[in-house]
Amino acid sequence: MRIRNLFYFLGEALKSVVRHGWMSIASIAVVAMTLLILGCFMVLNFNVANLAEDIKEQVQIVVYIDENADEQTRENLHNKLVAHPELDEVRFVSKDEAMERLKRQMGDRAYLLDGYTEEDANPLRDSYELRTKVPENISLVAEEIGNYPGVGYIDYGEGIVEPLFQFTGVIRYIGLAFMVGLALTAIFLISHTIRLTVYIRRREIQIMKYVGATNWFIRWPFIFEGLILGLVGAVIPVLVVQFSYQAAVEWVQENIYFVTLLPPQQIGTEIARILMPLGVVLGILGSTLSVRRFLNV
Amino acid sequence: MIEISHLYKQFGNDVVALKDLNLVIDRGEFVFIVGSSGAGKSTLLKLLLKEISPTRGSIKIFGRDITRLKGRQIPLLRRNIGMVFQDFRLLNDRNVFENVAFTLRVTGASSKEIRKRVPLSLELVGLKDKQFKKPDELSGGEQQRVCVARAIVNRPAVVIADEPTGNLDPNTSMEIMKLFEEINVRGTTVIVATHAKELVDYFQKRVVVLDRGRLISDQERGVYIDAHKEPLLFPGGGA
Repeated sequence: MRIRNLFYFLGEALKSVVRHGWMSIASIAVVAMTLLILGCFMVLNFNVANLAEDIKEQVQIVVYIDENADEQTRENLHNKLVAHPELDEVRFVSKDEAMERLKRQMGDRAYLLDGYTEEDANPLRDSYELRTKVPENISLVAEEIGNYPGVGYIDYGEGIVEPLFQFTGVIRYIGLAFMVGLALTAIFLISHTIRLTVYIRRREIQIMKYVGATNWFIRWPFIFEGLILGLVGAVIPVLVVQFSYQAAVEWVQENIYFVTLLPPQQIGTEIARILMPLGVVLGILGSTLSVRRFLNV
Repeated sequence: MIEISHLYKQFGNDVVALKDLNLVIDRGEFVFIVGSSGAGKSTLLKLLLKEISPTRGSIKIFGRDITRLKGRQIPLLRRNIGMVFQDFRLLNDRNVFENVAFTLRVTGASSKEIRKRVPLSLELVGLKDKQFKKPDELSGGEQQRVCVARAIVNRPAVVIADEPTGNLDPNTSMEIMKLFEEINVRGTTVIVATHAKELVDYFQKRVVVLDRGRLISDQERGVYIDAHKEPLLFPGGGA
């Protein structure tokens, strides 16, 4: 493509957007609406995934050390845990530290523990808090570690974590399926709307062919037009999602204090990063595919 | 310049549009192609533009067999043929100047060249003062003049017109035909497919008569020959 033509094609595309004002508005509206629905769903999905991830992060194995284990056994246990390939984090919690924590948790009623704080009177045990690299593997890892010498007993929320992981897995797949479905619907709607605008101009394409325009000469303005429509159509939902999400986050922070939503900046960038290219690609694809039908003259 | 030999065109299994057509048109000629509806006139013009391909036979234009042209080469062929249609086929959302300029634009002409050549072409057809009007602000005759300007702005070697006066009244038709004659005098080959008996008889040019896909008469300074003596049911319809 020559530079001279590039400006001509861009100019033609812009003129055409203005000339076919109502069809342009219709195309932009369809792109904007479908991407807006997709964007809203993405926000929801990101947050649900984030929440599930949060919960999963909190899942840990607590290994209580057998009180009767000697120094050598304890050291062996420590080394084995640190070297374990599946473990991400190995943290030793002495029984004193555990007592401190308990006191903090009890807050005003910490005085109830007064009699147990002495070294010998502390009924708590030394323990390790472990996090697995893959949270879903927790049961297997716990079972294995349970057999190590020096382990008194083990606690990892058995019976609770398994359904939780199942649930988060299902949520993720449903979210993915919804997003793919919405994206396909968007492609369908957008390509049909743009096809309509191209159909209205089939005569123009035919005349172009008669005076000796090459297929690419005809196609380029349509490609740029699709790009413009797709871009404008994508900017609208990106802005709408960003501003309404910001408002939603502020509201949630004030009213539902225990739910943490993803920060608006992160969501904004993420949404823009996905919706803008999607809009552009949809616009270009929609118009290019539609023009193809009318080029055979 | 145009050499058609043993040209056949069949649509489907039984519609024979052209049968063994042989025709030579030299540079600078003015040729009327006449015939009733279904005689094969439009098929012939479509073949010349490579809009369709023949079933058999060859069409040489400028010494080249266009039946073998590849898709990519068709635009180059069409840039050397100016085309005028019965229904004008102007872009209604662009003004007269832009409609004519478009033909140059597709060839990659510079804006400077376009600004120079479009007015010349519009002047020739007598529409220089209406270059900023939209087609729907013009009369039928004026619209057809825009088409003629568009057809010649590229300085093609040949101009082909398909029923150019089909939508025009007799006086305007005469003007348009005179315009073609003028273009022809300037050296461009002109081929006009038409039903207009009075015009054909008036201009006394070469007349090629088609009937049911066959060439039945080819005369220098000919007159309109109606192959079917009975009156036409729908005079003015396309072939």
